[in-house]
Amino acid sequence: MNYLLHILIMCAIYLILALSLNLLIGFTGLLSITHAAFYGIGAYISTLLMVKMGFNFFLTIPLAILGSMIFAVIVALPSLRLKGDYFLLSTLAFQVIVFSILYNWIALTRGPYGIPGIPKPKIFGFEFGEIPVYFILAVVIAFLIFLIFKQLYFSPFGRVLKSIREDEIVANALGKDPTKFKIEAFIIGGGLAAIAGSLYASYVTYIDPTSFTLDESVFILSIIIIGGTGNLKGPLIGTIIMLFLPEILRFLRIPDTIAANMRQIIYGALLVILMRLRPQGILGEYRFE
Amino acid sequence: MIRTNRVSKSFGGIKAVDDVSITFYDKRINGLIGPNGAGKTTLFNIINGFLKPDEGEVYLNDLRIDNLLPYQIAQLGLGRMFQDTRVLGKMTALENVMLAAKNQIGENPLNVFFKYRRMQWEERQIKEEAKRWLEFVGLQDKIYTNAESLSYGQQKLLTLARLLAGKNEVLLLDEPTAGVDPGFIPVILNLLKNLVKEGKTIILIEHNMTAVLEVCDWVFFMDEGKIVSFGLPSEVLGHPEVREAYLGL
Repeated sequence: MNYLLHILIMCAIYLILALSLNLLIGFTGLLSITHAAFYGIGAYISTLLMVKMGFNFFLTIPLAILGSMIFAVIVALPSLRLKGDYFLLSTLAFQVIVFSILYNWIALTRGPYGIPGIPKPKIFGFEFGEIPVYFILAVVIAFLIFLIFKQLYFSPFGRVLKSIREDEIVANALGKDPTKFKIEAFIIGGGLAAIAGSLYASYVTYIDPTSFTLDESVFILSIIIIGGTGNLKGPLIGTIIMLFLPEILRFLRIPDTIAANMRQIIYGALLVILMRLRPQGILGEYRFE
Repeated sequence: MIRTNRVSKSFGGIKAVDDVSITFYDKRINGLIGPNGAGKTTLFNIINGFLKPDEGEVYLNDLRIDNLLPYQIAQLGLGRMFQDTRVLGKMTALENVMLAAKNQIGENPLNVFFKYRRMQWEERQIKEEAKRWLEFVGLQDKIYTNAESLSYGQQKLLTLARLLAGKNEVLLLDEPTAGVDPGFIPVILNLLKNLVKEGKTIILIEHNMTAVLEVCDWVFFMDEGKIVSFGLPSEVLGHPEVREAYLGL
């Protein structure tokens, strides 16, 4: 039972990441590959505040969001002046920079040694230590984030983002400032991704920079490419598929040495097949060009 | 009042707009005609800020606007209908039109949560008005259809509804009748006349000379980036260069 709950907790964490990346890609049309950096910033801010300063987990969340939002502004201001592939390359550069900082700033992050002993969340003396109670916490937080994105999606703000995705010139001609809205989307997407980092850190109780690499950004991107972008169903189905798929492989009695490679091959094959047959993803409504 | 003063714009070695000074008449339909490549659309792009002139200035009611960004110019009440329809394909017709209302409360993401009721109230008003405009242009059955699924003519009508919902004082219309069902052209032309009666200023690029004769109060003929002739539609359409451009005479 705990095994299933563990996968569902990871689903909740990745759902937050997928929904927040969907705000950038599916709503606004910004192909960003820096999401693991936001995830990592959230994880490290929460961890350092808890481990070094004794903060309560729930107090670290707003600070992790704030830190990630500040980073989002730093990424957005130069990057959003660029278009298409150049924007993508700029976000890639920021992803690499954040990883390098986490890896090399040993005095603060302990670099490759990582930070162990991260406390579990506590509220009024109750600790979310056991997997079943952590599952409830993760699901509640993921559900709240889902509601936030639902609210944004159906709001005039979401409508403007979609118009920018569809045709930035038209949005401009209708009196909407595309740069301002893109920056806002970046800040919201980055800020909410930090919550996933905070949750992850307190769940696994140990973090190191290898959890927040470019590969992780690509994995989050794959979730929404496979599930589909531009709505809320796509990231949900994408998260379920991408997190349950490797677990299914466990039951196929494939030797461990082969299973890990098989997972990568299947992910790759799935992406190629989908791009060929359904480029907008399984439940997506927007096809990224 | 829209006015350009000695506006020029070149692309490479080609002068698309060459020293153009025009004062468009307020609360009138101003026709801007000329052969393809004459510089009409470039002039539109300069007026609504998508292109910066190499030289010259553009004024809206004595406010210099050529140094503003397109969205800032749009917020001043200058609306644009593009030559190609430029509908927002993955959005419904209703969403396309609702987008046109300026400075909506819910466009601020914080207001989506902290001014929810006010936003909802405004959203209902905007929705009702958008439906009225869609009904007005005859798209009442297509409200929830994605814009990309509409025919070309219907997309033109949708962009017209979007423009009207924006409550702009000055409308730049780039060939509004092109591709529209001929039966609906008189409806569009009547609509333009009514908009002028309501105090709107219209600048109309049009190749349909019957339409130009019927609705325009004043016509500017452009060729090779310059204003070659201007005056009453019947006068300008009698001009030899205009006759050559449009009638091959």
